[in-house]
Amino acid sequence: MTASISLRGAGRTFGATRALADVDLDLEPGVIGLLGPNGAGKTTLLRLLATALPPTQGEIRVLGRDPEVPAERTGIRRRLGYLPQEVGFPRGFTAFAFVDYIALLKEWTEPAARHAEVRRALDQVGLSDVATKRIRAMSGGQRRRVALAQALLGSPPVLILDEPTSGVDPEQRVTLRTVLAEIARTSIVVLSTHQTEDVAALCERVIVLDRGQVRYDGQVTELVRQAAGRVWLADQPDPAATVSWRTGTGRYRNVAAHARDGVEHVEPSLEDAYLLLRGELPDSQPAKEVAS
Amino acid sequence: MTGWHADDETLRRYVERIDSVAEGASVEQHLLSCAQCRARVNTAATAVDPVVVDLAAVWDRTRDAVEVPRPSVSERLLRAAGLPAHEARLVAVASAFRGVWLVGVAAVLAFAALAAAVGHARGLWFFLAVAPLAPCLVVAFSYDRRWDPALEPEMVTPYPALRLVLLRTIAVLALALPAVLLFGLVVPGQAPFAWLLPAIGFVAVVLAASTWVSPLNAAMAVSAAWLMTVWLVATRSASPAAVLQARSQVAFLVLAAASFGIFLVRRRHLRQLRPWR
Repeated sequence: MTASISLRGAGRTFGATRALADVDLDLEPGVIGLLGPNGAGKTTLLRLLATALPPTQGEIRVLGRDPEVPAERTGIRRRLGYLPQEVGFPRGFTAFAFVDYIALLKEWTEPAARHAEVRRALDQVGLSDVATKRIRAMSGGQRRRVALAQALLGSPPVLILDEPTSGVDPEQRVTLRTVLAEIARTSIVVLSTHQTEDVAALCERVIVLDRGQVRYDGQVTELVRQAAGRVWLADQPDPAATVSWRTGTGRYRNVAAHARDGVEHVEPSLEDAYLLLRGELPDSQPAKEVAS
Repeated sequence: MTGWHADDETLRRYVERIDSVAEGASVEQHLLSCAQCRARVNTAATAVDPVVVDLAAVWDRTRDAVEVPRPSVSERLLRAAGLPAHEARLVAVASAFRGVWLVGVAAVLAFAALAAAVGHARGLWFFLAVAPLAPCLVVAFSYDRRWDPALEPEMVTPYPALRLVLLRTIAVLALALPAVLLFGLVVPGQAPFAWLLPAIGFVAVVLAASTWVSPLNAAMAVSAAWLMTVWLVATRSASPAAVLQARSQVAFLVLAAASFGIFLVRRRHLRQLRPWR
C-alpha cells in the first residue's frame, strides 16, 4: 500500500467562523502545493493534517490512521514532519540545540545517532556552518531554515510545510526545492506558499483554496493551460482585462476571463492562471490593477 | 630526495600513532620530501584496523564537542537526581528552569522569611501568604502559552504530553519545595513542613484547572483565594497557626488528592496546557 492521506467532508470552525468546509482530498507521495489568499484556510488545512488541530466535522486518515484516536495520533506523529507558519524558539538556543531538542521529543534517545541525524537535517537546509550560532542572532531566512530542519528529522513519509520559503533568499529557495523534490519521491509533501514560482517549479499538483473551500485541485500544467489565449501584452492596461499590471519593460500584462483575439498573446504563467481563477470567483474580484 | 627510506616497522608505528614525538616528527619531515614513502603510508593506513583511523568517528566526536551544547546547571542536577540524560534535557528546557525565575522566587521567599525571622508579626503573615503560592506560580508560568507562543513543532511530536507535564511539575516541586522548606526553618513558631501541603495542593489545583482555563489564570485565581483566606484569618486571629493547624492540613491533603484525580481524568484536555517549555 502506498502512503496516503485522505479527507472526507473535513471541516473546521472557530466559534462562528468557518475556516474550512467540506474538504474531500486524497493525497499521495509527491509535492502538493496549496495556494490561496490570506484567510483561505491553508494554515487550518495544514494544521488538521499535522494533528495540531482536530477537525470539527468529517474525517481524516493519515497513513491509514485516525488522528482522533490518541494511540493512532501518536503513530501519525512518529511519521510526520511539520513546519508551522510561526515557530517560537527557546531563548539562548543554538540551531543545533533546537533541532536536537525536537529530535529528543521525536524519540531519538541514542545521542550518537541523534546528533548525526541533527547534522544531516541542518546540512539539508544548508545550515551546517552556523549550527552553533544562536537562533536569536540569525536572519529571518536562517531561522526559517532552522525550523524547516526540525521537520526534516528522520526523513518522514509525511511532510507538512506552512510557507517553507517565506523570507528565504532565492539561492536557498532553489536548494530547498531540490531537497523537497528528492524527499517527495517517497513522501507526501504538502506545502502552502504565496510564491507561485515555488509551486510552478516544484509541484505536480496544486490545490487552490478560497474561503475554506477547494476551488481547484489538479495538475499545475492543466491550470496553466486554462489561461492560454487569455494573457497578452499591451502598451496600456486593457479595460477588458480582469487584471493588468505594469511589467519591468514598461508594457502592461493583461489577464482576462475570456479569450481575446488580435492581441500580442504571451505564454501564461501559473500566476496568471491563479489570478484568473481568483477573478472568476464571486465577490472576490482582485484589484483591477495590481502592484507588481 | 635521498636514497634513504623509512622502514616498514617505523611507518607502521607512525600510522598507528604509537611512535614517540621525536620519531613521528622525523618521519613527517621525511614524508614531506619522499613521494615513495608517502605512497607506502597510504597503503599502510588502509591496511590498519579501521578503529584506529576511523576518521568519520573522530570527526563526529570533534563536531559533538563543538556543536552539542553543554548541559545547564539544572540539567546536571536533574541527571544527578537519577533522571535519564534525554529526559533531564527535556525537563530543563522548561522556562521555569531558566535561572531568572528560580532566582526571583528564591528572592521573594528569602525576603518574606527574613521579615518573619526578625519578628515582625506582619512579616510572618507575609511569609504565610507568599510561600505556599510560589511553587504553583512557577508551574503556571512554565506552562502558560502566553509566555511562549507558537510551540507547534513541539506539540505534534510523539512524546507524550502528560508525561512531560508530570516530569516538569515534579522537577519544579523538587526545586521549589526545598526552598520553601529551608525558609520555613528560619521562620519561628511553625513546623517547617507545615507549608508543604498547601504548596503541593495549590500545584495540583493549577494542573486540574488548566484542563479548562489557562494555567496562569488558574494560578492567579488560586493566589487570590489564598490571599483572601489569609487576610480573613489575620483579621480574626492573632496567630497564623490557625491556617496551618492539623485540621486544615488534612483539608490541603484532600484538595491535592482530589485535584490530581481530576487532572488525570481530564488529561485529554491538555491543549490549554503548553507543557513543552
